[in-house]
Amino acid sequence: MSKLRIVLGLQLLFFVIWGGFLLSSRGADSPEFYLETAPVDPRDLISGTYVALTYDISRPTAGRCARNDKFGLLFVKLEHRGKMADTEAGQVPVYEAVDCDKNPPAEPGWAGASMQFTFGGMNAVYGIEKFFLNENDPRKDARSGSVVAKVKIGHGRRLQLLDLVKKL
Amino acid sequence: MSYHKRLQTDLRGAAAAGIITPEQADKIWERSYSERAFASFKAAHWIGAAAGLFVALGLILVVASNWDKIGAVTKMGAFLLLFAGAAEASLRLDDKPAAAIPLKTLWFFMPVLGIGLYAQIFNLSGDPIKPYLVWAALSAPLALLSKRPLAAYLCSLLLFVVLYSGTLGPANMLSLAARHNAASQPLWHWALALAALASGIALYPGKKLGMPLGAGVVWVFMMLVADTAIKVRSSALILLAGMSLAALWLSFGREPEEEKAGLPLLAWTGAVYAMTFFWHYRSHDSYGSSQSDTAAGGVITWLLFAGALAAVFLRKQRLFPEGKTEDYLGKGLLAASMLGAFLLFDTSEASAKILAVIANLLLAAFGIGCIMSGSRHANEKLINRGVAVITLTAVTRFVDIFGGLLKSGVAFIITGLAFGALAYFVNKGRKALIESVKK
Repeated sequence: MSKLRIVLGLQLLFFVIWGGFLLSSRGADSPEFYLETAPVDPRDLISGTYVALTYDISRPTAGRCARNDKFGLLFVKLEHRGKMADTEAGQVPVYEAVDCDKNPPAEPGWAGASMQFTFGGMNAVYGIEKFFLNENDPRKDARSGSVVAKVKIGHGRRLQLLDLVKKL
Repeated sequence: MSYHKRLQTDLRGAAAAGIITPEQADKIWERSYSERAFASFKAAHWIGAAAGLFVALGLILVVASNWDKIGAVTKMGAFLLLFAGAAEASLRLDDKPAAAIPLKTLWFFMPVLGIGLYAQIFNLSGDPIKPYLVWAALSAPLALLSKRPLAAYLCSLLLFVVLYSGTLGPANMLSLAARHNAASQPLWHWALALAALASGIALYPGKKLGMPLGAGVVWVFMMLVADTAIKVRSSALILLAGMSLAALWLSFGREPEEEKAGLPLLAWTGAVYAMTFFWHYRSHDSYGSSQSDTAAGGVITWLLFAGALAAVFLRKQRLFPEGKTEDYLGKGLLAASMLGAFLLFDTSEASAKILAVIANLLLAAFGIGCIMSGSRHANEKLINRGVAVITLTAVTRFVDIFGGLLKSGVAFIITGLAFGALAYFVNKGRKALIESVKK
């Protein structure tokens, strides 16, 4: 087998492993919940049209969050504190950030984020800041706060963005 | 007129003039024509290619219209099949450039298409630079092992684009510039940026270092002047760093046998030319803000200066063709262009004016050196370069310093007379050279 075929094999293996990880993470046995959003609608160079999302949990302030605003990895505890949103499927629970920690306890509900400096200051970036959709999808023009993001916590405490749901 | 038509005309002319026989002319043309790109493509191939293109476009549109209905696993599987198919086809058709080159290009771009597809399927986001770095890492082995240099060029270009956009951009894993007085970027950003820089230079195909080294040199200078952990703010250090980098690029990035000037020489000449404008320097310790030099920036600048000075004296000079006089002049000019920056350390306007005068003298000496060396080596391009440098410097100074029509007019006349005298001496030197050869 030529060296270039080995290279091709390794490249394909990378995509197979990554795809498998993403598929199994999406199917992880964890509850689905909703997050408040503030969208706009730009376009990604390599993936097409998407809704750029920021969340209320992008700037966590509760608990020890205010102290943990340095660069790097941070875990945020997401919990339902009674806030609800009206959607076509009925009322859904909206989770909020209630605490932050660099080394979280083993209990569920902690989501990994990366603290980064953006134009508005330090933000917790969860990797769910883009929702890709068809150009004809009406949600592309969704106004700030008019949608909630349906998410779940997948492997490695990473949030998985499952859907963008219009609020009534 | 295309190259082959022009060649055919020239060959016919040469055959008519009796320089070569008509048979030779035909054979030369046939050989050249048969080696053109897509030479093996006949009309049937082109029609076949068009048919394939139409079918492919049709399929893409059908798939696009049903995109939302196709499952994630199907999309991923189709991508992997397409990826494997394109790469395998490029390997099997490696000896047919018309097919292998587009297929290899497609192979190079397949990883980023896959990353984009997965991001779309799973709504992935995060660091904007990470996908491009992963793409470069996945494609680097292809670039290294490919027989043709195309993948290596593309991979090197990709790494430099990522390096520039990442290090100067906000909020990504390569960011090095501070934002709104935020905390400095972590140290590992520097390690990653330097790895990208080294990989970009290493992957650039061929032995010519000029372009990748130049991209690296410009990047280092940008890091020194931008708001990074190695920023320098004093004019003297900025100038010292800039001139040292220009001299380093010229010493290592230009092949001695290269006929054309090339970017390194142009950059050095441009840097010295820019130095002439220090005539208008107004004394201040820093520009733009009250920030001061960083210790790291200072150390790097002095290291660059030491390296450049050592390179000037230990390596062959690249300003002129080889020759004893040319070597002395070339090394002297390069060293002086860097040492001139020391005049700015006292930040006085008088010193800056002396620096501007020295820069003008350096350009004049370089121009005259080019003309004299060009006449000795019968190198017309070198003579033209010298005339161009002196003319540009003179015209700039007339507009810049003398200002008024009368003064500028007189200055033009004096320069014209100086050029006339120079032409006389150059011609005299050329004749003496011819005579010495005859003897």
